[in-house]
Amino acid sequence: MENTRPPVTGRERPRDGERQCAVIAPFCLLPLLLPPLSLGAPMSTAESVNQAYNLALDMQRHTSTLLQTYLQHQGSPFSDPDFSIPELSLRTLPPTDMPFEMWHGLEDGVRLSLTQEAFWSFSQHLLLAIADQSDLSPDNSMVENQLWEARLKAKGLAGNLAGIMTALGLPTPQPNTLLGPVPLGDTAFQKKCRGYVIIRDYSFWTDRAVTFLGELKAKYSQ
Amino acid sequence: MGEHSECGFGLRRALQSTGSKRRQQQQTGSSAGVSSQAGTDSGMQSPIIRVKKKTSSETRLIDVVHVRPIKLAETGFSKETLDWRTVEMVVVGACGGKYQVVAEGMPPFLLLEMLEGPTDCSAQMVDISLCVKRPSWLVDRKRMRMASNSQWLLLTAVLLYLTNQVNSQKKSTPHDLKCVTNNLKVWDCSWRALFGAGRAASYEVCIEKRSRTCYLLEKNTTIPPLLPGHYEITVHPLYEFGSSKSKFILNEKNISLIPETPEILNLSADFSTSTLHLKWNDKGSVFPHYSNVIWEIKVLHKKNMEIVKLVTYSTTLNGRDTIHHWNWTSDMPLECAIHYVGIRCYIDDPQFSGHKEWSDWSLLKNISLPPDSQTKVFPQDKVILAGSDITVCCVTQEKVLSAQIGSTHCPLIHLDGENVAIRIRNISASASSGTNVVFSVEDNIFGTVVFAGYPPDIPQKLNCETYDLKEIICTWNTGRPTSLEGPRSTSYTLFESFSGKYVRFNGDEVSANENYQLFFQILSNQEIHNFTLNAQNLLGQTESTLLVNITEKVHPRIPTSLKAKDINSTAVILSWHLPGNFTKVKLLCQIEINKTNSEHELRNVTMRGVESSNYLTTVDKLNPYTIYTFRIRCSTDPFWKWSKWSNEKQCLTTEAIPSKGPDIWREWSSDGRNLIIYWKPLPINEAYGKILSYNVSYSSDEETKSLSEIPDTQHRAELQLDKNDYIISVVAKNSAGSSPPSKIASMEIPNDDLKIEQALGMGNRILLTWNYDPNMTCDYVIKWCNSSQSGPCLMDWKKVPPNSTETVIESDQFRPGVRYNFSVYGCRNQGYQLLRSVIGYVEELAPAVAPNFTVEDTSADSILVKWEEIPVEELRGFLRGYLFYFEKGERDTSKIMGLEPGRFDTKVKNITDISQKTLRIADLQGKTSYHLVLRAYTGGGMGPERSMFVVTKENSEGLIIAILIPVAVAVIIGVVTSILCYRKREWIKETFYPDIPNPENCKALQFQKSVCEGNSALKTLEMNPCTPNNVEVLETRSVALKIEDTEIISPVAERPEDRSDAEPENHVVVSYCPPVIEEELANPGAEGGGASQVIYIDVQSMYQPQAKPEGELDSDPVGGAGYKPQMHLPVTSTVDDLDADDDLDKTAGYRPQANVNTWNLVSPDSPRSTDSNSEIVSFGSPCSINSRQFLIPPKDEDSPKSSGGGWSFTNFFQNKPND
Repeated sequence: MENTRPPVTGRERPRDGERQCAVIAPFCLLPLLLPPLSLGAPMSTAESVNQAYNLALDMQRHTSTLLQTYLQHQGSPFSDPDFSIPELSLRTLPPTDMPFEMWHGLEDGVRLSLTQEAFWSFSQHLLLAIADQSDLSPDNSMVENQLWEARLKAKGLAGNLAGIMTALGLPTPQPNTLLGPVPLGDTAFQKKCRGYVIIRDYSFWTDRAVTFLGELKAKYSQ
Repeated sequence: MGEHSECGFGLRRALQSTGSKRRQQQQTGSSAGVSSQAGTDSGMQSPIIRVKKKTSSETRLIDVVHVRPIKLAETGFSKETLDWRTVEMVVVGACGGKYQVVAEGMPPFLLLEMLEGPTDCSAQMVDISLCVKRPSWLVDRKRMRMASNSQWLLLTAVLLYLTNQVNSQKKSTPHDLKCVTNNLKVWDCSWRALFGAGRAASYEVCIEKRSRTCYLLEKNTTIPPLLPGHYEITVHPLYEFGSSKSKFILNEKNISLIPETPEILNLSADFSTSTLHLKWNDKGSVFPHYSNVIWEIKVLHKKNMEIVKLVTYSTTLNGRDTIHHWNWTSDMPLECAIHYVGIRCYIDDPQFSGHKEWSDWSLLKNISLPPDSQTKVFPQDKVILAGSDITVCCVTQEKVLSAQIGSTHCPLIHLDGENVAIRIRNISASASSGTNVVFSVEDNIFGTVVFAGYPPDIPQKLNCETYDLKEIICTWNTGRPTSLEGPRSTSYTLFESFSGKYVRFNGDEVSANENYQLFFQILSNQEIHNFTLNAQNLLGQTESTLLVNITEKVHPRIPTSLKAKDINSTAVILSWHLPGNFTKVKLLCQIEINKTNSEHELRNVTMRGVESSNYLTTVDKLNPYTIYTFRIRCSTDPFWKWSKWSNEKQCLTTEAIPSKGPDIWREWSSDGRNLIIYWKPLPINEAYGKILSYNVSYSSDEETKSLSEIPDTQHRAELQLDKNDYIISVVAKNSAGSSPPSKIASMEIPNDDLKIEQALGMGNRILLTWNYDPNMTCDYVIKWCNSSQSGPCLMDWKKVPPNSTETVIESDQFRPGVRYNFSVYGCRNQGYQLLRSVIGYVEELAPAVAPNFTVEDTSADSILVKWEEIPVEELRGFLRGYLFYFEKGERDTSKIMGLEPGRFDTKVKNITDISQKTLRIADLQGKTSYHLVLRAYTGGGMGPERSMFVVTKENSEGLIIAILIPVAVAVIIGVVTSILCYRKREWIKETFYPDIPNPENCKALQFQKSVCEGNSALKTLEMNPCTPNNVEVLETRSVALKIEDTEIISPVAERPEDRSDAEPENHVVVSYCPPVIEEELANPGAEGGGASQVIYIDVQSMYQPQAKPEGELDSDPVGGAGYKPQMHLPVTSTVDDLDADDDLDKTAGYRPQANVNTWNLVSPDSPRSTDSNSEIVSFGSPCSINSRQFLIPPKDEDSPKSSGGGWSFTNFFQNKPND
């Protein structure tokens, strides 16, 4: 049923000048966010980690605003204070149920790989959320702009992590795996819920990435 | 009745053992799809139960029973749950065979009921007790029927047998003929006859009206329909012994029309719209003619079959089988609960006069829920009209705890199972993301989004026009917002009916001002367009139409590429580009011509549209050498709208020769030798180019000279001319040529009759007039200058035409309060004559200063004041007069009070004669201070004031009198006093100044000069070796005071000589130290001795030793010692050192006055103490009231009383002679 959704790329076409600016602006950041391996001069592991860490930190700073803005625009009860549906989940999203001890006990390479996959997945899911929002309330450019920004950063972080993996000699996962059908897309209500879960889990993974990259940064800066 | 009860009991008992739910479900499941489950009619129709006897060949109606329905009030049940409890009826004549019980208006399961009638027909009637319950019990009832049937039949048979036996003697006569029809083609008639007539009972039925027709029929049979009217029906049982004919009167009115039970062909549902589609066949082919049919359709929902809808629907029967459709949209989504539909009909045949009744309800059909879906809340993403109601349900297996729309909680409506619904009334328009409806279960939420909005408003301000006749642009406003966005937003379609073309709005073409717009390509040769703009969303659609001739709605785009090229000094060519296909229309363009410092000018040009879209036109009648700014806009003919103005284009026209010579004037220099020619630069609209230079030439009768070219920056030239009369000529030159010359004569035409006039202006302008002079042929010139400035008096000049008699001089240089001189010249043959000389102000001001004034003369009653003129610069207007105030007043007070003319004591003199410079103020008071104030005033107001205080002179006669009278009085008093004193001098002397003998003349009292030296010649005053007699007076006793007093009041005239003589015994020689040797003691305070010393001296000796300390003491020691020492008084008895203590009581002569305290103290340095004037010998005499002065206590120096301020009256009196 998800296949009936209009292609997400169709929404990338700006509708007016304002949106054009808003959409183009994040792309200006793109060179900074692209994985370093595509650039000519190789970057040291410490630099790569540092760059990824800074990006994750920046993402973390904006996640709460993003979630708040998103919920605010979905109407009550989403916009109610303390709104939360912990039971709601999306099976296509990166899992968030791994206990911290287990996560912490994983090797760096594994964690790098999982995080990289997670943020690649989030970049796809956020694109989905943008399309959903565009369907629901197309005139609300504020949420869409923030989602675009988050999506771009998620993609950039995935690229950065891939760069670190390359630098460490780890096998880099194929980045262009496309997202299959995502549940919870049939109705407007489900789309609202889906966006909520995506942003909520994105926030979780951002926190996890900041902690993890902080560790890596400490490790490689020595 | 026991059997009846048994029956009823049996049934009731069976019904009471209700089936289990499982069985019920099985039953339901077995009839899944279109089931034939019977429903319970809760309508309050009166049920009819027909009992038919069924034989192998026919079915005859044997009885019809109308059953009273149980009223709601009797049951206590709601309508939905109302059950038919028990229906009791009596069937008369039932005997043998099988009986069919048909109930109408009751659940159709009774159709299945077959009763075995009692074989014994002796019983003529049978009571049937039917228990009617809900259809769920039907199964039980059926099952139980098998078990109870034999019992029931047995009882019934017994009953019928008995009844039959009782009535065996009665003849079996048919009665109660009844006929019904369901299609009007045949009548189904039946009558009653006795039971037990045998199985093969046949009847001959004859119908007779005019003719007679007989049928051989079974008991229950059909007959063809009869025409209206009464028919006699004869029923004659055949083969029955003892039976008899029965006659009935049959009429169509007695016939009941009961249509056949309709059958639902199909029931389907559209879940997205919650709509049921019902399809059935009206079976019109069985009906002989057109009739109206009323269909009643009922919709029930939930498992307990609550009626949610009961509607009637009318059709007509047209002789053919017709399929009818009926749609119904449910308030509640069809997914929320199971829905049932049933139908029945009523044929309203106007030709049928009999009784018409409703058919039986069809079998109910239901809509089964769609296959299992993930979605649990219905409806999803519903778009509804704001303000309407909506029911949202949640289909779930979990218990729903709460439901809310937005943030508002709603009460739950419980449906089957755990399913719940909420009803939202008057929903308000949603935000862009819709309104959320959420059902909360224990650990999750289910929800849906409702989009409440409005249908599109009629598109407003629809306007179609074209910019270029290639494309039409239609714009409109949406009107009221729909609150629906995204996929739910309004779609617009612009349809043109003549061409049949349309364009769709896809949301991208919203123009900047929130107008929607669509572009429509113009077809060639089509001018008239009929546009329909259709607006549509999920809630409705509206439209707006517009018929336009597009050639009349051309709004050209902005002209571009405007260019200007000059042709000559007065014309340019403008060219521009106007995009569009205007070959079929005429263009109307407007050119705006702007000139610096000038109002803009608009010129219209009309031209045919051209293919190339490039246009040009000539603009003429321009001024040479002028900067013009052009811009252009266009429209078409007929006019619709101007395009926007094009960009501006500037162009400078070429130069031409100046149109006229410069404006010139001449003035003689102050020394009268040189003539200065002034000219004004030509204004740009006359110069026609840049002035390069001026040529000045002057000519007399004899010669002509010219100055070399004067650059354009210089606007004067100085000529040295002789006494000849010259004509001076000035020419301005630009690149195109020279201007016509301006000429002026050097000499001025004299004018004898000239006087100076005054004029006043307003603001910065002043009006000057003169008399018309026909001799003045060229023009008039008014020149003006500031009169106070030195040098040639010329500020500016102005030329006016020769026919004027007045002009207004206006200049920004004019200042209020400044005097200007205006000179009006008339021109005659290039010579000028001064006609008038005017001084004027554009505005008068009050004088800036007060006039200086002085007092020339004052007398006792007048003051002469003189003042000076105020200079012109300070006057600032024409002087109108002076105001002089005066009043009495001192400098201090008047200054404070100010001088107000309105005060009662202020006198004012208004001097309007401005030539007057003095003023005498009379009638003043002498020797009085006057406050004088003088101020000048002009037409501009009062100037400041200058004040002065003047005191008038004294009146001398009065003063003299005032002095002389007191002097004369004093003299007279003095003379009188003198005379009186002289006359009474003796008395006065006796009284105030008795003679006191001078002790000096007393021989007895003469002392030797060297008393202390022990001169033996003086026997009477023989003295012991001289030791200083110190008497210390400590305190005076009262006794002593008494003695003293007595001494004092003793006769005054008692002389010392007498006393010494009278009391010789008492005479005590007192050691006495003359003051001369006690000089040091005279100032005891200086010594600071602790002991008080009192020196007793007599009056004479008090002065004498001091007056003549050296001379007399040496020359006449004896004569100077004529002094008799005063006696020591017992008052000083406490004094230790006195040698003559014993003799004190007897002492005569002077003694100090007793009361020491009352002594008037004389300080040692007082004049008296040093004065030795012998004339005062009487002082201190015993007769003197002041004799107490004689004692001078040494201590008094220290006493405060001894201060120099202690002069008493007596002192004064004493000192008087010394003054």
